[in-house]
Amino acid sequence: MEALTPPRGLIADLITPLKLDGSIDGKGLEGILDRVTPFAQAVFLSSPCTGEGKNLDSDERSDLLEKALDVIRGRIPILIWVTQDTEEKTRKTILTLNKTIEGTRDHGQVFWVDTPLYFHSNRGLPAYYRDICSMVDQPFILHNDPELIRGVGTPFKRNNIRTSILKELTALDNIVGLVFLGPLDRAYNYQRACRGRTHFRIYDGDETNFLSYPSTSGVVSVGANLAPGAWHRIVQSSLLLKGEQSNGEDLRQIWELDQYLRGLKDIYQTMPAAVIKEILSDMGIIETPTCTFPVENIEKPKEEIKELMARSGD
Amino acid sequence: MVIKQAKEVLKIEAQSILDLVERVGPEFERAVDMILKAKGRVILTGMGKSGLVGRKISATLNSTGTPSLFLHPAEAIHGDLGMVTPDDIVIAISNSGHTAEVNTILPMLGKIGARIIAFTGGLDSPMAKASDIVIDVGVEREACPMGMAPTASTTAALAMGDALAVALINLRRFNQDDFKKFHPGGILGERLTIKVKEVMLTRDHIPMVQLGSKVKQAIEEINAKNLGATLIVEKNKKLVGIITDGDLRRALTRYKNIHEINVEDITSPLVKTINENQTAAQALELMELNAITHLAIVDRQNRVKGLVHLHDLLGREEFRVNGSFNPTTGAHR
Repeated sequence: MEALTPPRGLIADLITPLKLDGSIDGKGLEGILDRVTPFAQAVFLSSPCTGEGKNLDSDERSDLLEKALDVIRGRIPILIWVTQDTEEKTRKTILTLNKTIEGTRDHGQVFWVDTPLYFHSNRGLPAYYRDICSMVDQPFILHNDPELIRGVGTPFKRNNIRTSILKELTALDNIVGLVFLGPLDRAYNYQRACRGRTHFRIYDGDETNFLSYPSTSGVVSVGANLAPGAWHRIVQSSLLLKGEQSNGEDLRQIWELDQYLRGLKDIYQTMPAAVIKEILSDMGIIETPTCTFPVENIEKPKEEIKELMARSGD
Repeated sequence: MVIKQAKEVLKIEAQSILDLVERVGPEFERAVDMILKAKGRVILTGMGKSGLVGRKISATLNSTGTPSLFLHPAEAIHGDLGMVTPDDIVIAISNSGHTAEVNTILPMLGKIGARIIAFTGGLDSPMAKASDIVIDVGVEREACPMGMAPTASTTAALAMGDALAVALINLRRFNQDDFKKFHPGGILGERLTIKVKEVMLTRDHIPMVQLGSKVKQAIEEINAKNLGATLIVEKNKKLVGIITDGDLRRALTRYKNIHEINVEDITSPLVKTINENQTAAQALELMELNAITHLAIVDRQNRVKGLVHLHDLLGREEFRVNGSFNPTTGAHR
């Protein structure tokens, strides 16, 4: 039997709001979720880059998940990045988060997002997942991000999940999707590898890829923190969830939204978490722009984004 | 940039069709079976680009022997539903399965008694739920940004329509004669507008034996040229007649040793001729009228310039079925 059907559409890759002391800003999280959830089909917590997951330990992620579950109350699915820099720590994080879910009523759908090459080579991955899937009920969404892997400088040869390994992994019921970053040629190979699985989702982890050639599973969007309505409209249109475009005015508006979202991305892409937090903090949605890493020189991009958002009415 | 983008689009579209290969299964077989057994027509419906795809599939079905028509969903509500009968099969096309105009008419079609096949990527969509059979034509990625126009998804639906039409052709044992009847303006029709001189066999390709030769020579010539006949000519290539496989069979019953008799003893003088500037269609008509498969092409002095066989008019490759020649209709002579 298939595991939970993963969501389709806009998955908002949320920043992690922090207080000055570095703890999770619950009120800020509520503010962001209130802003985003009406437009998103799911939210992605503690993602490695935007959600600063690389710097959050299992207890911090657990706290973040608990607070998010409390606000969302099962309205939309939650994806949470479970990966740590070793297999042992990753297992510990998954078990900790699993306890958090078990201790919450009305938790709705939760999916583990795991970047296996962050701590593991391709060799032996199927065995690893067979084992880990037997330990928890929540389904997994794999995360393939060659840039992330390159950045951490793992000793492993490959920065991408091998296609043949992915094929083996998709034979496991509890692996239900993949967030994909990288060149489209690899995406086609992955697509072929996953053909046998009904409802297996391959999400675009790269917003530009989605804006150019939209995956029909959906997109993991950083920009949705800033412009959830615009992203919602683009995703709805791209996935034809509302049928085909009906008139020229619709098309013109969508074209303008595309330009707006590409413009935002061009500005925030070098330091998304820091820039977005600054803006959300200025808007009063989160308490502080505190990040888990040192931040400098973001005045210019911040002002550019604010100007772009003001022009677009966001 | 433009070339790169074009290549990317083509890759996405190609991939969308390749992905369908794995998904053709029992549902597809059921759909083919349902259409094959239906007493009515196949009615295609869809909005926008899906509608255009529906029109094309309908045209393909019509020209390959499955009666079909297109029903515009909006027109359907305003009276065109009257054309649907309980014997009809409706193929509804929508990538998302959420197209309101189409979904509105599906329950009405159901009430009429028509059965519905959905071509959709939305396997849990209202369209899928309202249909008897769901053919998955979903794609992983569109080639056009922001859903401005469906691209890969319409390509996939179109290809699936062709798969359906071809499956039906084979099951109906649709042959070339049917194709001529239904498709005079297609490739075949086009071929028939060309002149005889463009398709006729000339020079050494013409099976030809001189008057006074032994029948053995005629048999060798028929075997060598593989056309089931040979022309019989005078020294200056003036046409005298023809010997066909049928003439040889008849001669076998009449003569003890046909190898030793001369060709003039069994030559039929009734060989039909045509001018090289006449059309292939005229040649075909002449063949049909006389129930023959060969025509000689001669000049004003009745000298042989060429020979045309029925297969040359229709395109020889089109007669190949499973690697061998499919027997065609029409007597040899």
